[in-house]
Amino acid sequence: MNNVRTLSPKRFHWVAALLVLLLGTVSLYESSAGAASNSPLQTTRANSGTPNSSIVVKNKAGTITKYGDGAIIYKLPSSALIPLGKALFEENCASCHGTDANGVPANGTSGAYPNLRGLGPATVDFWVVSGRMPAADPRSVQAGRKAGRLDAKQALALAAYVNSLDPSYPYIPTPNLKTANVSDGEALFSLNCAACHTIEGDGDALALDTYAPSLRHIPAYQVVEAIRTGPGNMPRFTGNLSDAQVRDIVKYVTTEIQHPNNPGGFGLGGLGPVAEGFVGLALGVGVLALVGFWVGERQ
Amino acid sequence: MSDEMEHRTPVSLANVRADDPHLQPAAKNPRRVEQVIGLLFVLGIACFIGFAVTYFLDAPAWTYGATLGMGLFLMGVGQVAWGKYLMPRGPFVEERHELASSEMERTAFAAAIVDRGGGTVKRRRFLFGLLGGGVGIFSLVALIPLMRSFGPQPKGTLFKTNWKKGSYLVDSTGRRVQVGDLGIGSIVTVFPQGFENSENGQAVDQTVLIRISDEDVVTGKGRETWGPHGYIAYSKVCTHLGCPVGLYEQQLELLVCPCHQSQFDVTKAAIPIFGPAPRPLPQLPLYVDASGNLRSQDGFNQPVGPGFWERA
Repeated sequence: MNNVRTLSPKRFHWVAALLVLLLGTVSLYESSAGAASNSPLQTTRANSGTPNSSIVVKNKAGTITKYGDGAIIYKLPSSALIPLGKALFEENCASCHGTDANGVPANGTSGAYPNLRGLGPATVDFWVVSGRMPAADPRSVQAGRKAGRLDAKQALALAAYVNSLDPSYPYIPTPNLKTANVSDGEALFSLNCAACHTIEGDGDALALDTYAPSLRHIPAYQVVEAIRTGPGNMPRFTGNLSDAQVRDIVKYVTTEIQHPNNPGGFGLGGLGPVAEGFVGLALGVGVLALVGFWVGERQ
Repeated sequence: MSDEMEHRTPVSLANVRADDPHLQPAAKNPRRVEQVIGLLFVLGIACFIGFAVTYFLDAPAWTYGATLGMGLFLMGVGQVAWGKYLMPRGPFVEERHELASSEMERTAFAAAIVDRGGGTVKRRRFLFGLLGGGVGIFSLVALIPLMRSFGPQPKGTLFKTNWKKGSYLVDSTGRRVQVGDLGIGSIVTVFPQGFENSENGQAVDQTVLIRISDEDVVTGKGRETWGPHGYIAYSKVCTHLGCPVGLYEQQLELLVCPCHQSQFDVTKAAIPIFGPAPRPLPQLPLYVDASGNLRSQDGFNQPVGPGFWERA
């Protein structure tokens, strides 16, 4: 035997165990710290769950029997979709929102993720069908619109299932755009929407890394859902906009904003004088200078 | 002198011989250039015909401009190329006569102006005086719009808005806001009733009404009763340069100014937490009357909008 001190296999195990414990504690601390802080994606329950329509019919007991009118029709998703929704929920949503959809995952902290109960079908449908949920990164500041993992029918099924746990409002809206007044819609858009989404509907940066998304390529019913439920940081437009006014705004968004009439052929992103000035200077003056040089050049 | 340099020396067009290199086209291969120019003209003509066709087909408006513009452009390029490459390359000079008139003519002209012209004007002293007076009066009158732009003094309007004790909160259509109207996370721009469509009202009275809760909200000391049922109201005029602070982020509970990104904390008396705004947005104290209407307890307790010299 030599008497050089080496790390015996037994001692090595102790050191390794200590290291693993240390790293484990640190990572556990980090993950719990992250989970405990409220994610900006948080949607509080108080934030939704009213019919949010200008026409509400209640019975004597105070239960809502009917709401919405000819301007926007609100429909509860078919209860036949609930089993499909339950399966999809457990597969795609329960790991964060918990199997009870109350925002508490299996071994997680209450309040770490949004409580979905009582939010109403339109809120759930909007977040899923716009691709924001399931979230790519649950800790990101803002979930962006993307090609959804779930299609429109699956989103509806999820909405039906989550709503069946704690029935609420608003239902899935269908605006009746045929009767809409696009001119009123333009005025209301300028007053209520353009501040954040810009007058061309392209969206813009807001505070603390949040942004107002572009309004292009968004189906009419999803625009209603957003206006009525106020997803994320967007305010919720309720009593101050009647169903008819919301319908007018949606008509304006789905016609003039999404299909702008550009007499010149190119809208240049509707960015206004910056983009137009750039093209004017770079192309207009640049090409003219080249042509002038060619015309005046001597052999 | 090299051959090339000799070609570059300007010659008088009248004296060149028929075989002078100055009369040759600039292009090395004129036949080829002629074909290219011909092609440009043919394309240009095709564009002109295309313009007529689009017109009759009622095509999108931009096709008019594209065909007509491209046609004119191609014809122009063809002509410039013709001039540059196929015409005699030159350079030529042309002698010209002296531009100035003869000494005698100039003297006679000066005499005519000074002697006869001056004498004629002097004879009409009265008219000359009137004309001078007119010019003077005109300059004084032209100053009036400038003087006008210095006034009137804004006086009280800088300090006081049209919000008074008991003013009803109405939206831009004049509808009174009721306590049940807004959901949590909603925002609406309100005016004191009667001023929703007045020019002055649009400028200084505009106020954002936000509902952040369904319980009473206290945004600061001395403001215990100002936010009934979760409603709070702030002046919409930014304290930086007066832009409308209409961007409300409901989860961050921030009001954002679109001009210079000032951010105001809605829950803490709208103190600016980012950006150039120097002061919080003034808060309007609210109360709910017996019939559920939102009304103001009083006007703003400080001037709204950007600072000014007389502001305390």
